[in-house]
Amino acid sequence: MFNRLIEKSRAKSPWIYHVNSGSCNGCDIELVALLGPRYDCERLGIKLAGSPRHADIVVVTGPITSQSKDRVLRVLSQVPEPKVVVSLGSCPMSCNVFKGSYSVEGPLDKWTHVDVSVGGCAPKPEAIIDGLIKAIEILKEKRGLNNV
Amino acid sequence: MNGYSSILPLMAIMLPFLAAFIIALTGNKALGLKRVLAVIFTFIPLLAVILLFKPIIENGHIVSYWLGNWVPEKTWAIGIGLEIDAFGLFCGLIITLTCFLSSIFSIRYMEKDNGLEKYYTMFMLLTASMIGFVFTGDLFNMYVMLEIMTFAAIGLTAFRNHKYKSIEAGFKYIVIGSLGSSLILLGTVLIYAQAHTLNIAQISAILHGNYNAVTIFALALMLTGYAVKAFLVPCHTWPADAHMSAPSSISMLLSGVMSKTGIFGIIRILYMIYRSKCVAAPSMEFLMIFWGTITMLIGASMAIIQTDFKRLLAFSSVSQIGYVIVGFGVGLSAKTSVAVTGTMGGLYHMLNHAMFKSLAFLCAGAVLYRTGTTDTTKLGGLAKKMPYTTVLFMISLASIAGMPPFNGFVSKWLIYQSTFEAGYWPVTIIALLVSVMTLAYFIKLAQSVFFGKIHKEHENIKEIPWSMRVPMIVLAAVCIFAGTFWNVISDKLIEPAAYAIYNIQGYIDVMFNKGYAQNMFNHEIPIPKMTRAMAGYWSPINWLLLFVVLIIGFIVIASLLSKGNKKESIIDLSDTKYDTFTGGEKEYFSHMAGNDLFWGLKHQFRGYFKTLKNAHSGIVNDYVLWVAACAAVVTIYLFAVL
Amino acid sequence: MDILVYIFNILIFPGFLFCFFFGLLLSGIDRKLVARMQRRIGPPVFQPFYDFFKLIGKGHIIPRGAAKKTFMLAPIIGLLGVVIISMFIPIFGYVFIPRTADMIVILYLLTVPAVALILGGSSSGSPYSGVGISREMVTMLSYELPLVIILLAVGSKVGHSLGEIGNVTFSLSKVAEYQSKNGMLICSLSMIPAAIAFLLCIPAEVGTVPFDVAEAETEICEGPLVEYSGKYLALYKLMSAIKMFIMGSLFVALFFGGTGFGTGIKFLPLNTLLMMILVIITISISVSFLRAIVARIKVEHTLKFFWTVPTALAFVSLILTYVTTL
Repeated sequence: MFNRLIEKSRAKSPWIYHVNSGSCNGCDIELVALLGPRYDCERLGIKLAGSPRHADIVVVTGPITSQSKDRVLRVLSQVPEPKVVVSLGSCPMSCNVFKGSYSVEGPLDKWTHVDVSVGGCAPKPEAIIDGLIKAIEILKEKRGLNNV
Repeated sequence: MNGYSSILPLMAIMLPFLAAFIIALTGNKALGLKRVLAVIFTFIPLLAVILLFKPIIENGHIVSYWLGNWVPEKTWAIGIGLEIDAFGLFCGLIITLTCFLSSIFSIRYMEKDNGLEKYYTMFMLLTASMIGFVFTGDLFNMYVMLEIMTFAAIGLTAFRNHKYKSIEAGFKYIVIGSLGSSLILLGTVLIYAQAHTLNIAQISAILHGNYNAVTIFALALMLTGYAVKAFLVPCHTWPADAHMSAPSSISMLLSGVMSKTGIFGIIRILYMIYRSKCVAAPSMEFLMIFWGTITMLIGASMAIIQTDFKRLLAFSSVSQIGYVIVGFGVGLSAKTSVAVTGTMGGLYHMLNHAMFKSLAFLCAGAVLYRTGTTDTTKLGGLAKKMPYTTVLFMISLASIAGMPPFNGFVSKWLIYQSTFEAGYWPVTIIALLVSVMTLAYFIKLAQSVFFGKIHKEHENIKEIPWSMRVPMIVLAAVCIFAGTFWNVISDKLIEPAAYAIYNIQGYIDVMFNKGYAQNMFNHEIPIPKMTRAMAGYWSPINWLLLFVVLIIGFIVIASLLSKGNKKESIIDLSDTKYDTFTGGEKEYFSHMAGNDLFWGLKHQFRGYFKTLKNAHSGIVNDYVLWVAACAAVVTIYLFAVL
Repeated sequence: MDILVYIFNILIFPGFLFCFFFGLLLSGIDRKLVARMQRRIGPPVFQPFYDFFKLIGKGHIIPRGAAKKTFMLAPIIGLLGVVIISMFIPIFGYVFIPRTADMIVILYLLTVPAVALILGGSSSGSPYSGVGISREMVTMLSYELPLVIILLAVGSKVGHSLGEIGNVTFSLSKVAEYQSKNGMLICSLSMIPAAIAFLLCIPAEVGTVPFDVAEAETEICEGPLVEYSGKYLALYKLMSAIKMFIMGSLFVALFFGGTGFGTGIKFLPLNTLLMMILVIITISISVSFLRAIVARIKVEHTLKFFWTVPTALAFVSLILTYVTTL
């Protein structure tokens, strides 16, 4: 009986957690600009959560460097279901200009399932919002798992 | 009134003494016999006290007994008299109950020590002397019992003499305790010289209205002496070490119960022997309230910066004794309705403190028994291995912080209301602040010891055995009962005791015959009316109903909401998703405990805390100087105002 | 029949459901106001409802190092405490549980949600939550002192006029009665410093900027709530929202009470509406306005601030009630 209410709410209140796996901070700055007054994604209900356990959407920036790979994967596993992984920028999509380096472990979808990719270096805020809305659509369809 | 009820107090005192000697005779063998004897002979005084309920509380008599049948000769008391009124019975109940529970706890707790015949002998001596102290009606007998109590306690403090801290604690206790006892002896001698008798009832009859400088000096000395026993500031330095080093089953007695004997002594002096000078005297009221407030503040401030579990609990006891003294200080007020509320608050807090502090010390003992240490920087995460101990400690935490529906709330409320109505509103504010500080350091204990991460060496500990859990469960049950059914306790125990404190005429009459007091005093002394109208106003039964309804409501709503898919998949606990979130790092040991907590508070008041810490230097000479200074100040104050 | 009214009062009004709706609504209005003050559009007013239901539908993970039963019980205890307080606060003359000395009970019950947060954080077993609970405890120590003095000031003013024993009353219903005869307490000059001090204490109790160092999002990753997820987190957020409502309605009962569209229960819906409007105004001044302007202050500065400024204001009020009859 409450399921419809819960599904509607899932679409209206997605919380983000941002993981930086060795990026140059360009995409991070664009993401933080998204939460400011000009592009205001809080009107969509998006809030930056402080802990991965509170988040629905995990936004990953940066090519996965060797040092951060373990940690990114650990953080990703600590997010409860249903979760959506968004890779922001071209670095997690294809390692961009760092491809082939000795310390870069490769695109994100080599290690985990990526739902939405937002390309660009750095992508425009409007593109990021577009990607997030697509992520919300995908979130709406995922079922939550109610186990521990 | 006569009949078997007169012999019960004598049995309650003599039988444990007898048991002490029998146990001493058994030597090294027959440990089981020692334990059984200890349990039985602490149960018999409890039984005696319960049997004395009917004549004393329900029928309102005061039981008396002249030892050796030395009845008064021509209305002049020459023998030692036992006299038990409702107040003595109230204290007796606290003492016998805790001693009985302690003896049950000692069965398993002390199994790792040897030399147990000395332990049990001194334990029985302690029990017998405490009961003797509250049941006696003779001033010098009080001193004798107090000395036996002190020396038994010193022996028990230094019991584990392979640790240096026990011997140091014993030494400090001997020096400071003896100083206190000497002051009491000096005061007793001076009073004897003035009144030519040692019977408390007769002394109060003779001294009524005829005070001179010698008796006032005696009052000052005895107040200071009993302040050392009841650890008021600045005579509070010995319990920090003593309660830390004593075995926990003894610490609970020292901290929870022996302090009450000190307060019992102060009450007998202030309210009975020096009644016309002290009761309804604003200067004495001010002295006791001021003393109590300083005790509260310094006890709580020192407790926040401690790192050892039992030392922190000892300072916490100091702070709670401050509450009791403030309550009794208000009881000396001239406005009778306020005075009665204050006295009731003080009495109720005596009971509550004995209960929840004993429970806390037993939890500390349980932790020490299993892990071997009480240092909070080395403990952590014990909640998963010792769940019962954690729950019982939480009950003690809720009681001491004064949360409804536990017992601390009722007594603290009475004290706040009475202090504000007596006009001492700064004391109310300070008392509330100290209450929050109490909550703070207990939460610090809970976080450091029971929650958080568990150390590697404590991975394999188990829960404590059942015989150790039973006394703790009994104490917790009393805490909850005293909080929810406070009107029952107030009717049966507190109001008769408060009445008995003010009923000096009845006290005197019992020892002699009726009308003696009337002849000595020239007028009838009014006893304030005890009405329930001033005590707190919440009826816990409604609350329990409320809780039950709310919980049912929650369960209904929660089950409606989470009706989604419930897949029972296999939970693999080594999956990284169950790690603690530390920014993605692999889980490593990082326990926030001990002195790391409350940084903001300690930083802001670093000057104050540093001064306090340096003042408690650990040098016995300093502590003795403080006691002497306290005696001097009290003497000068009393001579100035009385 | 009585039992049914009783259960209605507990579960629906002014108990659980009323607090639920109005608390979350208040939290949403606060977020919208802050957004408008920062020249953005902001979330819809019903956003916290969506948050709550989303969290209920999300899976929860109980970490390995947590003490499970305490972890699960702590939010429920906090929520129970907060709902019980709401039944003590009078709504312009209608009180569900009329008691004669409820201010101290409310003061003690107000520590229950904070302790529930501390216990929850403690049982998570995470170092971030350890730091968080230590800061939460220090914050609690700092705001309790001015709160006590404010309640004593209000109590002694009303008690003085009503001639109680010791010139103090501890009963909120008597305060409401006094205000219905003599006008709102905020109109009397001696109560204005106390009102300002109370407005300063509300953000600390509720845990919003500038005093939310315990739940600092970016610094210690949400502090005590770091390991919570799913329905337990939903209960904590609900507890926080209802606490905002409680503090607002306590302020209204203490300082704006008395008026209303007539006494008695007949006009209860209108009285409730008036109370809701006043609570919204209060929260918007003390919580939203401050949140939009200032930044978070450190924990030792929180202690220093609360023990100087609001304490001094409350003392001024207390002394004025003794000295004058303003």
